[in-house]
Amino acid sequence: MSKDKEIVGYRQQPGKLDFTRPGSGGSSPLSEDRDPEMIPASQGGELEQPWGAHRHDNLVTGRVIGKRTPLIDGKWKVTGQAIYGDDVRLPGEIIGRLVRTDRHYAKVLSIDMTEAESIPGVIATATGVDAPSAFGVLPVTKDEHAMALEKVRHIGDIVACVAAVDEETARLAASKVQVEYEGLEPIFDMRDGLKNSTDPIHDRGKYHIGESNVQKRVFQRFGRISDLEKSMASYDDDWTFKGVNHGFTEPHAVVAHWDPRGRLTLYTPQQVPHYVHRALADVLEIPMHQINVHRTYVGGGFGGKSDPFPHEMCAAILARKSGRPVRITFDREEVFWTNRGRHPSRISMSIHADDKGRLSGIETDALIDGGGFASFGHVTTYYNGVLHTAPYEIGAFHYTGARVWTNKPASGAMRGHGAVNSRCAVEVGIDHISEEMDVDPIDLRLANLLPPNSATITGFRITSIGMRECLEKVRRQSGWDEKFRKMPLGKGIGVGCGFFISGSGLPIHWDPNKFPHATVHLKIDMDGGVTVHTGAADIGQGSDTVVGQAVAEVLGLPMDMIRIRSKESDTSPVDLGSYSSRVTFMNANAAVSAAMEIRSNLIDAASELTGVERADLVLGDRRIFNKKDPGVGVSYLEALHKAQEDKGALIASGSYRTPPMGKMHKGAAAGLAPAYSFSAYVAEVDVDVETGKIKVEKVWAAHDCGKALNPLSVEGQIIGSCHMGLGQVISEEMKYGRTGNLLNPDLLGYKIPTVHEMPEVVPIIVESNDPEGPFGAKEAGEGPLLPILPAVCNAVYDAIGVRVNELPLTPDRLHRAIERTCKHKGVKDPRDLPNPSLQKGALSDVLIARAEVHSERDKQRRLNPNPEAYFNGQLFNHLTTGPPEEHDPEWTIQVLPDEEYLNNPKLAGSAWLHKERRHMEESG
Amino acid sequence: MKTPAFELHIPTTLKEALGIARELHERGHDFDWISGGTDLIPNYKWGINPRPHVISISGVDELKGISPTRIGAMARLQDIVESPVAHPLIVEAAGTIASIMIRRSGTLGGNLCLDTRCFWLNQSETWRKSIDYCHKCDAGTGADCRVIPNQNELCVATYQGDLAPALMCLDASVHLASHRGTRSMPLEDFFQEDGITRNVLQQGEIVTHVEIPKGSTSVVGSYQKLRHREAWDFPEGGVAFSVSLSDDGTPVSFNMASTGFESIPRKHHDLVETISKGPDWAVEAERLGVELKRAVRPVLNTWFPPAYRKKMASVLARRAMEEASKRLTSAWQS
Repeated sequence: MSKDKEIVGYRQQPGKLDFTRPGSGGSSPLSEDRDPEMIPASQGGELEQPWGAHRHDNLVTGRVIGKRTPLIDGKWKVTGQAIYGDDVRLPGEIIGRLVRTDRHYAKVLSIDMTEAESIPGVIATATGVDAPSAFGVLPVTKDEHAMALEKVRHIGDIVACVAAVDEETARLAASKVQVEYEGLEPIFDMRDGLKNSTDPIHDRGKYHIGESNVQKRVFQRFGRISDLEKSMASYDDDWTFKGVNHGFTEPHAVVAHWDPRGRLTLYTPQQVPHYVHRALADVLEIPMHQINVHRTYVGGGFGGKSDPFPHEMCAAILARKSGRPVRITFDREEVFWTNRGRHPSRISMSIHADDKGRLSGIETDALIDGGGFASFGHVTTYYNGVLHTAPYEIGAFHYTGARVWTNKPASGAMRGHGAVNSRCAVEVGIDHISEEMDVDPIDLRLANLLPPNSATITGFRITSIGMRECLEKVRRQSGWDEKFRKMPLGKGIGVGCGFFISGSGLPIHWDPNKFPHATVHLKIDMDGGVTVHTGAADIGQGSDTVVGQAVAEVLGLPMDMIRIRSKESDTSPVDLGSYSSRVTFMNANAAVSAAMEIRSNLIDAASELTGVERADLVLGDRRIFNKKDPGVGVSYLEALHKAQEDKGALIASGSYRTPPMGKMHKGAAAGLAPAYSFSAYVAEVDVDVETGKIKVEKVWAAHDCGKALNPLSVEGQIIGSCHMGLGQVISEEMKYGRTGNLLNPDLLGYKIPTVHEMPEVVPIIVESNDPEGPFGAKEAGEGPLLPILPAVCNAVYDAIGVRVNELPLTPDRLHRAIERTCKHKGVKDPRDLPNPSLQKGALSDVLIARAEVHSERDKQRRLNPNPEAYFNGQLFNHLTTGPPEEHDPEWTIQVLPDEEYLNNPKLAGSAWLHKERRHMEESG
Repeated sequence: MKTPAFELHIPTTLKEALGIARELHERGHDFDWISGGTDLIPNYKWGINPRPHVISISGVDELKGISPTRIGAMARLQDIVESPVAHPLIVEAAGTIASIMIRRSGTLGGNLCLDTRCFWLNQSETWRKSIDYCHKCDAGTGADCRVIPNQNELCVATYQGDLAPALMCLDASVHLASHRGTRSMPLEDFFQEDGITRNVLQQGEIVTHVEIPKGSTSVVGSYQKLRHREAWDFPEGGVAFSVSLSDDGTPVSFNMASTGFESIPRKHHDLVETISKGPDWAVEAERLGVELKRAVRPVLNTWFPPAYRKKMASVLARRAMEEASKRLTSAWQS
């Protein structure tokens, strides 16, 4: 904060231009001193930049960036004035209700609506034939319909919908819809999805994989596969992860309204309004310009509100049929049936390390359970593999993955999309390897990190990386060296790391090809306030605040002069939505470039007014002045009014598109991002060895977000991620009974941790100053979730010596694992279990020495504006001058399995035993 | 979620309440009693056996009040937790129920008469239809039990009230009233094995209060509860243990009761009789634990699997005994 709050404007010099009253615009009548601690050293301020200068440094005015800024919509929410999906009330509204099937899997033979329609008060009904066009969030896997066309695929799948004057009538009518089914054999176990079936859940035509329920399969092999065998220590385990749901507060709700001109407005709490916009046009068969998607306040999304949904289509169809606004709100149970949560997974993880303590290879086989629909699953299948190729330098990487359909609610994207489960297995594996090699797991990690400005094994471009600092900070602050392997039975400490994309490199819809990912429009009229038009969806993560901050910073304005218009597609430029942690990076970059245009206009005007050279003019707090003589300048409003001469309001548009990146192999685009975030957690736990109950006592959570534009919300994201990840590791699961029914579709049965389970979290922000991020920023919304899972698992091992391979670690599961360990170790009473100890071996010093060398190497690389290329593999003495595959004949890039693999495939890999139908025809 | 419509009756005296019940009964109308509503209303919203009439007793002052020897059926759970006069064992058990907000609404009587719970029952109508309903709420289908299949005689839904075992350990008796008069009985006789009948209450009869023997001030006990989260969750198993003392501080008798394992809470007379009344009685905690584990019969219808709950019965029993012993020692020392 400002050291000296009393300064009121600047010194006025005689003979210079008339200086109007201090400050102009904003709620504070006085201009405030710029905060030198917020201004980078490269611009003459006092902000230390150990990571070097940034291209946005000259735009820093010391106003808001890096300051703890309350979210600008916070007061709306806490005073109850925020309009969420179900709060929208339009004149003449009626209530829609979806008719959901009670069958797991069946053909729909007929639907009889007569009884429902005869109930007084029922106004409209619809069935699948009213909207036969398919939709889906990914253009390659459009497999959803507004209502079932020929089949229902899980309990809760929608077969019809009704609208009536009130909720009671709508519910009654929905219960009177008679559907005749012909039962089909359902499958619930994801392993069954790999087999051929008489009735695959979907039919992909000639692209169908055998007659199986495999929706997507991936095979990737990188590096020197021969390295895999030269291992000194290895980890090999089969993991089971249960499915989890986002558990957001606000159930889905939607209001659809066709206005008198025949245009549709859809009010919906959506993370990705643009894809809904497209899907609506497809399903309703009207042009996109006839639709206005109005994003309401979103009561939590976490990935669960990023698909276009059938209920949104149903509301629009019912509204079109009835001519009245239709509102649909879900029960919690319907939220679970819509799901799109984290995929239940079976992951087989092998990690190998050589005698120098290098990670010579990672082999992963991930089978993921997609439920009834594709959703984001195509991408998830890739992410389960490619998102654990960093932050460590690895000798070889082999990934096989498959996603299958089952007769359960669809899995989809959820915070930490696809990366969470396999990351957990990797980090637990590294803990195990350290144990085998008698080294500290933090030492092992520090000696194997990729440097800044390097390429991963699959060709991702790492620009900034603060992994080392994250690890060092959590190690120091947690007192790791005094605690690890030194605490009594039941008390333990563990570490885990994470790596996540900051925006996805390719947009989901890439037509037309060069369309930007994010666009921001600014408009400033004579009042001086800045209206920011953006399509980025604020889902509570604070995207409205951050885009406002970016504009305020560049223009040197207080936040109360910025107003955000981000809700309606009619007025907002297209933004791809709030997923893959892209918003801060892309949208704030777009905002900065729009604000730079306005800034340029203002400097032109100020130059004209003051006669000072453009190059010497800078923006401060509502002033534009000569940086060499700050007394010379004009107020913001003066410059603005000058700039507006003969044209009125200033407008500017800025946009962002990712640079070209990545390799050319099939699937190379998955996981490509303009920047990556890194995080390291240390968790301290208390385990009751008799009941298997885990209490996480404290968590030190370091996250490299590049630059904390708003430290307050970064910390909020870290703590929130910690809570969400904690749920997956200790209690949350979608529990299916022996009949395939979801047993806990409610918030009593679905065990989200309460305040009692929540540990104290110490958020630690690491700022690696990303060269392409806005002011150096990267994502902070998803990455911080990843490390909590392995950190807790590893802490449990430290506490009681039990290695786990199943999540969530509910007390009964951990108790079973404890019993197994007791039996294995010949211990009768779990209270007598020996806990693990560490006697550091010879390799330990090697690793510490290498980490020191690497630390210096990294520092040089990040400060050097033109560092030499660094490709994953150099640690293994492979050639240094280019991608290893261009120099090393043994270096493989393989995306299709060979005969040898197919002779002995792993679980998910066995999906490759099927031939696609089109190839079956070819081979006869 | 929509609560089905019902006619609400709000009497202000016990006599009036019982009169309404009698009248409804005579006219052949089904009805439920409601006190805090934290159990009944969620079940109604799920369409689990809703009835057309509901009699609220929250306005009946005679049913309120907390004293060392008497707690009214309408005493709010949180009031019990905050009460300076209620027995510490009751306070401890009440303090583990749900959450403070729910406890501010829920009552002693409601907790004792808590409906039994089951994964196959506490679900929405569409959900239950998908398994063709179950015995406890069969929608006229005569459906089988989904936990113990191929029969529709016995319901094994689990009783998950926390107060019953604590009160049983204090030898509390429960007082009932109906238009036919009043009666009372030891609390363990109040419950009746079956997930549907649950207890001895006749149509039109309600719990008015529980009575705790005067001597309970010299009883020291502990309640141990198994649950996944420290708030909201019902007990997946609960064990209360108490020891009553003579004037010189030697144990006179022991009590142990369990909840959350079966369709009713149980008092384990036979188990505690084997405890020797010497000063070292607590060393038998381990043995008692194993015996309780043999005695309980959980089924697969709650969050934790039955094998685990059974094993935890022994841990809970041992801990309850050890904790009681510890409290006894510290009470003696101070």
